[in-house]
This record gives sequence, C-alpha cells and structure tokens, in this order.
Amino acid sequence: MSALEIRDISKNYGAIETLKGIDIALESGEFLVLLGSSGCGKSTLLNIIAGLAEATSGEVLIGGRSVLGVHPKNRDIAMVFQSYALYPNLTVHRNIGFGLEMRKVPVAERDKAVRDAAKLLQIEPLLDRKPGQLSGGQRQRVAIGRALVRKPQVFLFDEPLSNLDAKLRLEMRTELKRLHQMLQTTVVYVTHDQIEAMTLATRIAVMRDGRIEQLGTPEEIYNYPATLYVAGFVGAPSMNMLQAVVEDGRLAIAGSDVSLPLPAGFRNAAPNGAPVIVGIRPEALRLATGTATEFPLPVEIDVVELTGPELVTTARIGNQRLTACLPPRARVAKGEPCAFTFDEDALRLFDPATGKAFETAR
Amino acid sequence: MSGTWMTTRAWLLMLPLLMVMVAVIGWPLVDTVGLSFTDAKLVGTAGNFVGIDNYTKMLSSSNFSRTLVTTTWFAVASVAIEMVIGVLAALLLNQEFRGRTFLRALMILPWALPTVVNATLWRLIYNPEYGALNGALTQLHLIDAYRSWLGEPGTALAALIIADCWKNFPLVALIALAALQAVPRDITAASLVDGAGPFARFRFVILPYLAGPLMVALVLRTIEAFKVFDIIWVMTRGGPANSTRTLSILVYQEAFSFQRAGSGASLALIVTLLVTVLALAYAALVKKTAGSAT
Repeated sequence: MSALEIRDISKNYGAIETLKGIDIALESGEFLVLLGSSGCGKSTLLNIIAGLAEATSGEVLIGGRSVLGVHPKNRDIAMVFQSYALYPNLTVHRNIGFGLEMRKVPVAERDKAVRDAAKLLQIEPLLDRKPGQLSGGQRQRVAIGRALVRKPQVFLFDEPLSNLDAKLRLEMRTELKRLHQMLQTTVVYVTHDQIEAMTLATRIAVMRDGRIEQLGTPEEIYNYPATLYVAGFVGAPSMNMLQAVVEDGRLAIAGSDVSLPLPAGFRNAAPNGAPVIVGIRPEALRLATGTATEFPLPVEIDVVELTGPELVTTARIGNQRLTACLPPRARVAKGEPCAFTFDEDALRLFDPATGKAFETAR
Repeated sequence: MSGTWMTTRAWLLMLPLLMVMVAVIGWPLVDTVGLSFTDAKLVGTAGNFVGIDNYTKMLSSSNFSRTLVTTTWFAVASVAIEMVIGVLAALLLNQEFRGRTFLRALMILPWALPTVVNATLWRLIYNPEYGALNGALTQLHLIDAYRSWLGEPGTALAALIIADCWKNFPLVALIALAALQAVPRDITAASLVDGAGPFARFRFVILPYLAGPLMVALVLRTIEAFKVFDIIWVMTRGGPANSTRTLSILVYQEAFSFQRAGSGASLALIVTLLVTVLALAYAALVKKTAGSAT
C-alpha cells in the first residue's frame, strides 16, 4: 500500500488548466520533491494533497484511504509553509503544540511531544519566546517542529527554505536531510531550487505547465533527462545543447567541421540524416590530453570565470556555444583554441521536434 | 542651506494655518475658560467673576451625574454593539461569494448618509402612528398596540442606540475588513491543517491581526459617542423626561436654552476634559497593542 497516491489529478481555474492528469504513487519513507519553475502547478498540487484546494478531477489517497472531500485536519498530514505561518501571538511552545491542543491531547502528553521536537530541532531555549523574537532560521525550525509533533502519515513542505539567506538555507537543508534519515517520514516537498531537489529527494518529479515532465531518482533526472526541458532545468550551469545531424554513424555538429562518433547505444534510435540535439553536461567536459583513445572536440575559449572550486569556461564550437566546468588550475585563456573531451556515455541525444530524449540501453 | 533657515521657513509656511487655528480654536477656547469663571448670560452683560462656583455647582448637581450615566451608557452600549456587528459583517464580507463587491459598497451607505437624514429616517421607523417598527412588530404579534418608542423613557435611549449603531457599524466593518485582508493566507491554511475550528481560528489567527485596527476604531467611536449631539437632538432633544439627555445636550441646554453662558462653558470644559482623558488612555492602549502585535 502506498503512503500517498495521486491518481489522475487535474485542476482548472476557469479555462486555465493548472494541472493536467498527475499520477504519482509514493511509498512510505520516500522524499518526493516537486520541482519546477513558478506557475508550473507544483504548489497547487501540494495544496490539493493538503485539502486546501479542490481538484477538478482525480483522487488523492493517503495511507490507502481516499481523502476526497476530507477536511485538511482529518487527512493525517502536516504542512510547513514558505512564510513559516507561525501564530504571532502564541509562544514557540504553543505554536509547536497548537495542532495537538486543537486535537485535545492532554497537557502533559502535549508538553512532552513539544519538548521532544524542540530538542530534536535544538530550539529548547526558545520555547517561551514569541515568533517576532526569532530569526528566520529559528522560525522555520519552529514551523518544522509544529509539523513533527503531529506525527502525520505525510509531511508537506511548500518551499520552506526560500525565505532564508544562502548560508542558512544550506544549514537547514542539511538539517532536513538529517531529520528525514533519522525519522524515515514520507515527505512531499515543493521547490524551484534544483540543488535542494537533488540533495534531499529520493525521487524528483520535474513539473512543467501542469504536467510531470519526468519522475525519477535524482541520479536518473540528472544523468538521463527525459526531455530537453529537464536537461536544461536541472544542473547549473545548464546542460550544453548542440545542434547536430546524424551522418553515417557520426554526429555532425551544425555550423562547424566537427563530427563526433555516434555512441553505440544510439545507433538504432536516431536514423541517418535525422537532426538531433546533443546534450552534454559542463561537468562531463575536460581538457583533452592528446592521447589516442580520447576524442577531441576543438573549441575556441570565449569567457573564463573562476568560481572558486571550478573554472566555468564558455567556448565556441563553430557558431555554437559550449560551457565546461574545468578544474580551477586548468590552463585556458580567452581567445585561445583548445580541445575538450568527454566520456562517450556522458552524451545524451534529443529529438528537436518532440523535445524528448532518444532512448538508449543503459 | 542652514538648519536655522530651514526651521524658520517651516514656521513661515505653517504660519497661515497656525493663525487660522488660533482664531477658530485657540481664542474661543481661552474665551470659554474665561467665561466659565463668570456668571455671564448668553445676552447682556459680560458677567461677574465667580471663581470655581460654576464647576462645583455643576459637578455636584444631580443633573450632571444623571446625564453622565446616560452618556456613558449610550457610549458603551452603542460602541460595543457596533464593534460586534462591524466585525461580524467584515468576516462575512471577507468570504468569497457572488455580489460581494456590491454588498460591500451597499454596507457603506448608512455611514455615508448625513446624521440628520439618518435620524429623520429612524424617527419615521419609530413613529407611534405609522412607523414601520410598530407595523412589523404588530404583524408578528410581538406587541398588541402601537407604541411611542421615542416617547417612553424606558425605550427612547435603546431606540437611539439602535439608530446610532445602524449609522456607525459600517466604519468598524470597513476598518475590520481592511485588517482581515492583511491576515496571511498561509497562517489561515496552517490553522486549517492544525485542526482549528472557526472560533479557535478567530481567536488565534484573526484576532491578533484585528486587535490593532479595532483599537483605533474603538478609540474613534468611543470619543464620538461620548460627544454625541446631532442624532439625539434631531430624534428626541434629550427627552422624554431627560431620559436621553447626554452631556453635549446638557451643555447646549445650559448655554443656549437657559442662556447661562458661564455655567454652560464650565460644563463644556468638563466634557472636553473627560474626552481628553479617554483619548489619552486609549492612545496608551493603542501603543501597547501595536507594540505587542509583531
């Protein structure tokens, strides 16, 4: 039995289709991240799971039970909001215990649950304070504590780290990972931050225009993007997309004299003469050393940016651009010709007409 | 530009307004203070200096204490009812339904009406011979015969309070409605997930956001209710048997009906002092509420 099952959920606002037939099944203990840009429908889907919005059609099952028409408080869920959504006039202690208080849990039991959660989140000294006296990070811990004490079947997080500064966001991300590893709870987490998605998720659903573009493990999403959109959305810098044509078992890069050998896995997928888009991650590129076994990709360096741990190098190959993440001490300079190389299995091929990846034997 | 010139220029710019204020507020106020220590009549001689006689007489008269009780009762009852109805109306008009904008506009109507129009309208409703209230209550068999609601000491004040509430609850509702729009959606959603019912939601989620603005409404309305004159003057003139006589009516009667300008002035200053104390107490309360609502 799935901890959470979303069956063919659609949501319309008048003539606008916000969600178009979403299907996801989540096992107990999974951490699902709904990833997508603003307006893709991820928060709407989360609100439908929570019962804060109604689906136009479809069904949500929590713990095998349909929650159609069930009030949010009876869905066995807890939710953490982007704005923390703490009650401003209640102390941290009462904020955390509010859900239990509303459920008439005895005071002693409630107090123990609140103190346990506070200990876990290292906010014990703050229990008597009001939200207005806390920093952003502390407020978010309180919001997480409020969800934790309820011990629900499913936790819902709506961009919980978006309001924090970069350093705090990193800390809280690690904290959330630690909590999930420790408690093994089922989580649905909405974010537009792909790093959050990659680091936290056991599975990611990349959403676009109300549909799931790809559902898979972070490794699958990163290494085997199913569409051009996923390939471009996940990863920073984005995956390089080179226009090319399949010619006699090779990939002729458009606007240049360069051609690459067509990896064996794609030989049956892309027919001869077909235009394709060659995808290659900037991290997969390295400087060619000139050994006979590697395939060199001659380029001209355009821009070199040192970010600290790496040298983000933008180069030109014919009239197309290519970005590589090289080691910080790599010897490259603007205007100089050089050659990149890569492992054959790092290449992905996409159909420019449909935007979908050509399947390959993994 | 030097600071001195800036200050001088600021004073110069404010001078015309200051002169107007001194002429229409300052001078009459000083004159009233002077008048309150004399036995001057409204017409005739300037009157003789009588010290604090006017004040002691006024404060020890049973007229004053009875009127103070009536005024307080009117202010407390009408403001309390206005606050409750205003907040309820705001909660209702904050829901999503068809025709909400129209209803919001319609609600402002009583408040937008001039008080005299409102008072005349309610006099018609309360009319002992053809009033709508008598008609409705008779047809519902709640009363046997038409009554003079404004003519009986037992019902006149209550009738006035209802008329005043009808006129002024929209102000409270408007302020509350604006405050309700400031309640973050996330907090309301969190309270739903947490299992808070309508009362808990109002108490823990909505009220903290309403408290500050409502306090302002409370201050404004209490001060106005304490000074009430026009609606009562048009509807009952303080009668019957002085049962609806408020402090402002008493000031008017003393100064203009009985033409005792000196004692009228002393009474007006006592009312001003009472309202000032109220305003200061409320100002402190508003400051405290604003400070705690973070």
